[in-house]
Amino acid sequence: MKKIKDADQRPDILSRAAGLLAAGETFCLATVIASGRPDAPPGLKAIVRSGGEPEELSLPPGLAPGLRDLALAAINEKESRTVEAEPGLSVFLDVISAEAGLLICGAGHIALPLARFALETGFNVTVLDDRPDFASAARFPGCAVIAESFIPALRAMPLGPSSYAVVITRGHEHDAECLAEILPRETAYTGLIGSRRRVAFVLAMLGEKGIPRKRLDEVFTPIGIPIGSESPGEIALSIAAELVCVRRLGARAARALRAAREVTND
Amino acid sequence: MTNREIFRKLSELRSLGVPACLATVTGTSGSTPRETGAKMVVCADGATYGTVGGGCGENKVRSAALRCLLTTKKPELVKVDLTDDLGTGGGAVCGGEMLVFVEPVGKPGK
Repeated sequence: MKKIKDADQRPDILSRAAGLLAAGETFCLATVIASGRPDAPPGLKAIVRSGGEPEELSLPPGLAPGLRDLALAAINEKESRTVEAEPGLSVFLDVISAEAGLLICGAGHIALPLARFALETGFNVTVLDDRPDFASAARFPGCAVIAESFIPALRAMPLGPSSYAVVITRGHEHDAECLAEILPRETAYTGLIGSRRRVAFVLAMLGEKGIPRKRLDEVFTPIGIPIGSESPGEIALSIAAELVCVRRLGARAARALRAAREVTND
Repeated sequence: MTNREIFRKLSELRSLGVPACLATVTGTSGSTPRETGAKMVVCADGATYGTVGGGCGENKVRSAALRCLLTTKKPELVKVDLTDDLGTGGGAVCGGEMLVFVEPVGKPGK
């Protein structure tokens, strides 16, 4: 009887983990991977949320408090690892990080492959355009799609230090509108498409509107890692590569890649 | 596959009543093809979703998962050695070692 119960609780915890991840929470999924304790067999799982108590109280008494501290440390350091919870009892602490949100403003030709690449690389993608024919759920499977005017939609949108924003609308006026809403807030990444002439004009407009120089300088533009992209698919690939670089290595590393290209540009 | 897709696949398999194993990289040393936390789902018919690095190492994990699903029904900690010498016909030459935890997560047998 007990065996079936043990086998049964695992999928439930995994469903719960899926729900937390979908809700945008970072948490630790702890799994006993080696053990001599009959009350804590390999496969036993618990979820530790950064708030406090283990989500699932399937841990034997005496083990829970220490494990919770170890799990919280792993969450803080954003590092999955195996720990020795007590002699002979190994627990894998899997830090499941909330997916970074990517907002794509403009649902045109580049947005299509970009949305696919971004989903594939673990971004939670939202696509925004004021043209319902373009911003349609059928064109962007797996994404949240918003077909509304840019300004009100952006005002209602939660953006923060872990948000990524790519501005690739059909026209530089719309680009400027979007950036005027995005840049007053902190983002992990904001990128703007366009020729040097077009982006210089957009940034100058925003400067006149009172967006601080520092924020304008932080905009990744021309957008994407410089790999000589020409086609929509190639440009989307270079943007996706830049997003991954910022997420894994930070904005400085992504800027260094641009600088390296400028040195060798001929 | 991302964690999101792995979890989605697991719940899909569960709702279909398909027994499956979850394989998770729980530790690495040296150069390895995947990072700690990487996951792969293995079904009893041999189908896999996601990857723990491909090649011979992944095949060893898949075999362990099938063993677990079809016979032992017990979790297993698999050591994947990727330290074959270069140029000797061995495929696992990344240079490191991975520990992969394989556990049944599908619908219970009855």
